[in-house]
Amino acid sequence: MSPPVTVIGIGNPYRRDDGAAACVLARLAPLVDPAQVRLVELDGEPVRLIQSWDGSQSVWLVDAVRSGREAGSFHEIAADRLADIDDRGVRLGGGHLLGLGDAVDLARALDLLPAAMRVLGIEGADFADGVGLSAPVDAGCTAAAAHLATEIARELAALG
Amino acid sequence: MTHDHRSRRFNVEALTRVEGEGGLIVEVRDGEVADVRLRIFEPPRFFEGFLRGRAYSEPPDITARICGICPVAYQMSSCQAIESALGVTIDEPLRDLRHLLYCGEWIESHILHIHLLHAPDFLGYPSGIAMAADHRFEVERGLQLKKLGNRIVEVVGGRAVHPVNVKIGGFYSTPTAVTMAALADELRPAVESAMDIARWVATFPYPDHELPDGTALVALRHPTEYPMLGERLVSTTGLDIAVDEYLDHFAEVHVEHSTALHGHMLAGGDYLVGPLARFALNADHLAPRAAALAVELGLTPAERNPFRSILVRAIETVHACEVALDIAERYTPPARPAVPVQPRASSGCGWTEAPRGLLFHRYEIDADGLVADVRIVPPTSQNQPVIEHDLIHLIGNSLHLDDAALEHICEQAVRNYDPCISCATHFLDLRVVRS
Repeated sequence: MSPPVTVIGIGNPYRRDDGAAACVLARLAPLVDPAQVRLVELDGEPVRLIQSWDGSQSVWLVDAVRSGREAGSFHEIAADRLADIDDRGVRLGGGHLLGLGDAVDLARALDLLPAAMRVLGIEGADFADGVGLSAPVDAGCTAAAAHLATEIARELAALG
Repeated sequence: MTHDHRSRRFNVEALTRVEGEGGLIVEVRDGEVADVRLRIFEPPRFFEGFLRGRAYSEPPDITARICGICPVAYQMSSCQAIESALGVTIDEPLRDLRHLLYCGEWIESHILHIHLLHAPDFLGYPSGIAMAADHRFEVERGLQLKKLGNRIVEVVGGRAVHPVNVKIGGFYSTPTAVTMAALADELRPAVESAMDIARWVATFPYPDHELPDGTALVALRHPTEYPMLGERLVSTTGLDIAVDEYLDHFAEVHVEHSTALHGHMLAGGDYLVGPLARFALNADHLAPRAAALAVELGLTPAERNPFRSILVRAIETVHACEVALDIAERYTPPARPAVPVQPRASSGCGWTEAPRGLLFHRYEIDADGLVADVRIVPPTSQNQPVIEHDLIHLIGNSLHLDDAALEHICEQAVRNYDPCISCATHFLDLRVVRS
């Protein structure tokens, strides 16, 4: 049986802070029950994205973003606002063929959207080539993992 | 844009439903096609440059990053080239695993192309998403098969995205018999599903069109297999060469409107790589059900209509499912995951058939085992000239169409080649100018 919650980390750990999502997933792993929460790392390719949340009622997409806010801060974005975000140029996964907003639209067309879908954006500062997060983003990932664990516990309690 | 059909200029600023960033400019003067330029403006990526000085063991993982759609192709061609340089021959069971891994990538890539990138052109939709609303069953069926392709890459390659389990000499680890038995269970119904997809694709309305006269079709050839991992390179013009002869017959040149090099045969003339060429030169080596289905659907090695490349991709998907099932059913864990490798000063070439066509690699390794020089020739670079010349031919026969219809058929024709611009720069924004 599929876990009721899926958390999908999107990004490229070889582009510094773009690896924030992988870091959040690693720090979230000891805080959640794998039978209840599936953790998945992806590059943002939309078909794999849609198929990765198969069977879950709640989906979190975690990605590094660049919106001009303080590095390491994190903010939630409703999945139905993804198209707006892409238009503003904020990176949420990339890929040339189809964007993250397209993935949501395709899932909607196929009636594959979960009951709840939210995006947690970690504000990045350094997207240059190389491995390793900047110090504020590294700290932000710990806080984001704790925030996710709290939110997921609340969701699981509501789901019974 | 003007509706004076004798003189017009089309400019597609950014091509959609292709991998990467490019555009198309078409100029028509006095009722004649004056110029067609496939503009590739994705920045050069300099992989060949920054591979120099890296350890001989690194290119499979580094070059896999050239493409998110066909990373396995880069791993296979780089391994083959470096193993050739170092005098390494991998064990047959390890070659089988690489063949299986490649099947997974062909399934993923072809199914993505068929369902989300190209079928909307034939069925009159602006996108795969719009098509999915009316063809939900077909799209869901396709996505299920793509998921199986992902699964193969995950089982053999270590993960579905940019697999990490391939190394010079073989693999870091090999799947267990239990894992492979489970994969075989998933593959059994997939062959039938792939056949149904091909029968669906065969119902599409295909424009009546052929490649320009004199276009050579070029593909790998293997004594017994449909050539994912071929041995020699053959062509419809009689070429039959070994891998270390490739650079004696083919070259790349820079053109002003493209950040990707254009491939040419030194003997002159255009050449085509990819599904249509592979099928024309290797249909006799398709797996049994794929071969029978090609006959049932009226596809023969004489096929030269690039719009029917999508049907060849569907047949090749059936083939990949059959081969994958055969390898998974015969599997016993190899005696060792890799053969020993000892670096030495040497050079070697390798080539395999990426989903989009021939992918050539050449490496020079120094005495310390570091990469001294690299050449990578991806399929889209090789197909750029023939795409432009095919468009000249197509547009010349389609000038009666209004600008919107002409733009549409040009974009559809470019997608016949499933160009991967990210690989080629290692595409479409259309401008049509009629003056």
